[in-house]
Amino acid sequence: MADSAVLNRTFRHVGFFYRTEDEYAAAVTGFLRDGLAAGEPALAAVPQARIALLRDALGADAALVEFADMAEMGRNPARIIPRVLAFTRQHAGRRVRYVGEPIWAARSDAELREATRHEALINVAFAAADADILCPYDTAGLAPAIITDAMRTHPLLLSDGGHGTSPMYAVPPRIPSSCSLPLPAPPHDAMFHTYRTDLSEVRALVLKHARDAGLTDARASDLVLAVSEVAANTLRHTQSQGTLTIWYEPDEIVCEIHDEGRITDPLAGRRRPAPDALGGHGLWLVHQLCDLVELRSDESGTTIRMHMLVQPPPTDG
Amino acid sequence: MAPTGLLVWYNTGVDLLTTSVATVESEGDPYTIVEVAGEADVTNCDSLREVLEAEVAKQPRTLIIDLSGLRFMDSSALHVILRANRAMDRQGSVLALASPREPVAKMLRLTAADQLIPVYASVREATAG
Repeated sequence: MADSAVLNRTFRHVGFFYRTEDEYAAAVTGFLRDGLAAGEPALAAVPQARIALLRDALGADAALVEFADMAEMGRNPARIIPRVLAFTRQHAGRRVRYVGEPIWAARSDAELREATRHEALINVAFAAADADILCPYDTAGLAPAIITDAMRTHPLLLSDGGHGTSPMYAVPPRIPSSCSLPLPAPPHDAMFHTYRTDLSEVRALVLKHARDAGLTDARASDLVLAVSEVAANTLRHTQSQGTLTIWYEPDEIVCEIHDEGRITDPLAGRRRPAPDALGGHGLWLVHQLCDLVELRSDESGTTIRMHMLVQPPPTDG
Repeated sequence: MAPTGLLVWYNTGVDLLTTSVATVESEGDPYTIVEVAGEADVTNCDSLREVLEAEVAKQPRTLIIDLSGLRFMDSSALHVILRANRAMDRQGSVLALASPREPVAKMLRLTAADQLIPVYASVREATAG
């Protein structure tokens, strides 16, 4: 497969466009087997149905690959980078292979935006890593705009059996503008609350609405902690009040915090802080606790929208 | 409507966070227990820090923070505990956490603080450990 100079780079991030299961199985197992032949540890995080397909195609070699259900590991796409970084640390000093499929047709628009942002951030988070990353995209099922963004987020492309560089990939890496469009406005019947000093009241409101929405006690507590962490940043980093907005979507509860703060690090909350670090835990916890997090930050302030599904897939506790 | 029983978990205003300190004489070494109750967050973690710093300065061999009455803890409060743990480490003494409720225990796991500071199911286990 190594047929051009670009493929000798230490970090390779390939967008793989496929149309059929056969095409998928052949290319992904080929990618994994190349790594296994070189003694490289391999992780494949793909939707559950694809795991079965790959295990079948790999036969005995499947035992040498670590599999993860992307619907669980990447439900919040912001959790994927720390998980893969942990895999590289676990095999420190060795080149690793990773297959990541965080984008599939059934995902919501908000999830697709955040998964696309995640793909763009891979180029930043792994720039210095010794890693081969392959990201499959189902061109038969995904909208053309998603594929276009995949060409923007992947320096290398594989399609119809041919490797090449992406003409749309920018250096230094950029996040596609589709990820940063203004968030849709909350519904008119959303609950608004402003705060400046009292976070206990913020937590009580979130708890009440989370329970009304039907979240379990454990997941209601998760949302309470996440919102409280974001609201605490208002008190820590701004001189003005913050606004909490809560509303229900058909299958989830959404809590949003807006304040005049500014978050400039695009990887904030996507690197696990050292256990004894005296900072950086807030957004880390938010991403670990919530099913989806949307963040917009500019001169006018920061909005963080936290989503919790009322009925998460059964793997969740 | 939510069951109101849960809402009283979050009481606003005064006494959001209370601490009490006891020094316990035992056959072996005496140990200090700091009971923390209520909700510990960025708005009141300074008072928690003052209490813990005062106790750490007395150089106990073992300092146990009893979390059984703590309904909520955020990362600001965690950082106060991590600071106390560093200070105890430097003195060659041990800080331990006892009986965290599940939301607090989960937060300790997600931050991996539980790999740095021993967490026990009860004060009794902490004193035995």
